[in-house]
Amino acid sequence: MASIPDDVFFAGIAEINQRLKAKEFSAIELTRAFTGRLERLGPRYNALALSLPQEARRAAKDVDDDLKIGRFRGPLQGVPFGGKDLLAYAKQPTTWGARPYAGQVFDYTATTLNKLAKTGGILLGKLAMVELAGGPSYRYASASLTGPGLNPWDRTRWSGGSSSGSAIAVAAGLVTYALGSETSGSILTPSAFCGITGLRPTYGLVSRHGAMPLSWTLDKIGPLCRSAEDCGLVLQTIAGSDSEDPGSAGKSFYYAPAYARDLKSIRVGFATVDFDEWAEPAARPDFAKALDTIRSLGVQLTAAQLPEFPYGPVISTIISSEGSSVFEPLIQSGKVAELADQRQIAGLKAGLEISAKDYLKAMRIRSLIQSAFRELFSTVDVLLAPSRLTPATKITQPLDRPLSDRPAPKAPGLTALIPAGNLAGLPALSLPCGFADGLPIGIQLVGQPFSENTLLTLGREFQKVTDWHKRHPPLE
Amino acid sequence: MPAKLTRRQLAAAISAPALLAQQPSAPLAATPEAELQAVRDQNRQSSEQLARFPLPMLIEPATRFKA
Repeated sequence: MASIPDDVFFAGIAEINQRLKAKEFSAIELTRAFTGRLERLGPRYNALALSLPQEARRAAKDVDDDLKIGRFRGPLQGVPFGGKDLLAYAKQPTTWGARPYAGQVFDYTATTLNKLAKTGGILLGKLAMVELAGGPSYRYASASLTGPGLNPWDRTRWSGGSSSGSAIAVAAGLVTYALGSETSGSILTPSAFCGITGLRPTYGLVSRHGAMPLSWTLDKIGPLCRSAEDCGLVLQTIAGSDSEDPGSAGKSFYYAPAYARDLKSIRVGFATVDFDEWAEPAARPDFAKALDTIRSLGVQLTAAQLPEFPYGPVISTIISSEGSSVFEPLIQSGKVAELADQRQIAGLKAGLEISAKDYLKAMRIRSLIQSAFRELFSTVDVLLAPSRLTPATKITQPLDRPLSDRPAPKAPGLTALIPAGNLAGLPALSLPCGFADGLPIGIQLVGQPFSENTLLTLGREFQKVTDWHKRHPPLE
Repeated sequence: MPAKLTRRQLAAAISAPALLAQQPSAPLAATPEAELQAVRDQNRQSSEQLARFPLPMLIEPATRFKA
């Protein structure tokens, strides 16, 4: 039996698939090695919700049988991955990270997981998450059935959420890629904090059938990977029309690196104040280098600012209203009290009291936000900003407190890009770009709807001349 | 479907200086009741900020996204 070299745990999708096809190891051997690692180290980081060793072994045997007869199903064939525990997997627990749903079992599987299985992907297990994907809001990293997501770079720090287990598992080499979800920041934040590459697709591009709803008009499913290249490969498989998802845009995505845009034609908007003043001082040197690197690629860098809108009140009103409606039975039953985070409990209860007037006002302002971004994207192709202004916070840090007592800069820059981009349904790519105080930091690229190939082109070129995405925590 | 706005309408709608105001943090509360009240207060502040936002009558709620 072939032993699996350590470097495989941090290899990208194409490399693993190639080594499988070269018979360096079998899919069963690979799956056994990854499963052992996931089961041994996943709990150490509070990253594992459910291991699926038997199902993974069966899928791996199918892959080996296919490879023996030369039946190739694409680059994801035989590659181990994990799914956030808000994705249903038939006849196995799907907890949504929340105690009241600890025994929940569905009789169907999420569309995204089915699509990956059809291309020979090996689902190793379900990955931990913040309870109810964060609900209206939460105060502590401990807001999860499995405890706080511990950052593989420093276990006293948070992994970010709500796709905490997904980001941890990729960063720690427990899976090659993972699926997460984002309503407002839940892919970008853990990707930045854990030093991996995460893609938030355009709203409606990826089916949410079988995924826990939090906000029908904001929820997106997307990949967390080692590189922009890997994000493109996964997105190509999971994207596409789905009649089971009322929010489906009816569009497909073809990852097309061979037809990438000329970098010189890409206009990248950014705000100097984000990098020079808003970012935490320890993060500024590597953010500045990242900006220089983007400039060196030959793109047209230009100053940009976000349209002025009350993004915070708009998105909190929408998430609170929709989330509390989704979870009304939980709230009315009283079982909401079983959640781990008092702020989340209070937010769900109070969300039921938000008036139709306020919800509609927020959704009407959202129309203006979409119009304003269409206008903005007539002058730039991509917006660039730090994914988060600081590296990972301490586990005990209240998440709704200011992280620093530094006075806020006068200009807002693009600091509201996460809520703004989600409200406008825009795709975003977070790329690791360095370290601050020994912890990873990242930049985000945001484009107009369905411009994922442009973001991936820029991300891929950035990662050709940097190696931040190849760094990983010490192997355990 | 949302009506398409002219640049002038859009500029008028988003030019109010108070619109930059973002969500304030709720204070750390000691009891579940106090936590609930803190969130209610925060939601009320959001409501007030939304109410201050001028909206032309023709603006419909967002329902779809276009490339």
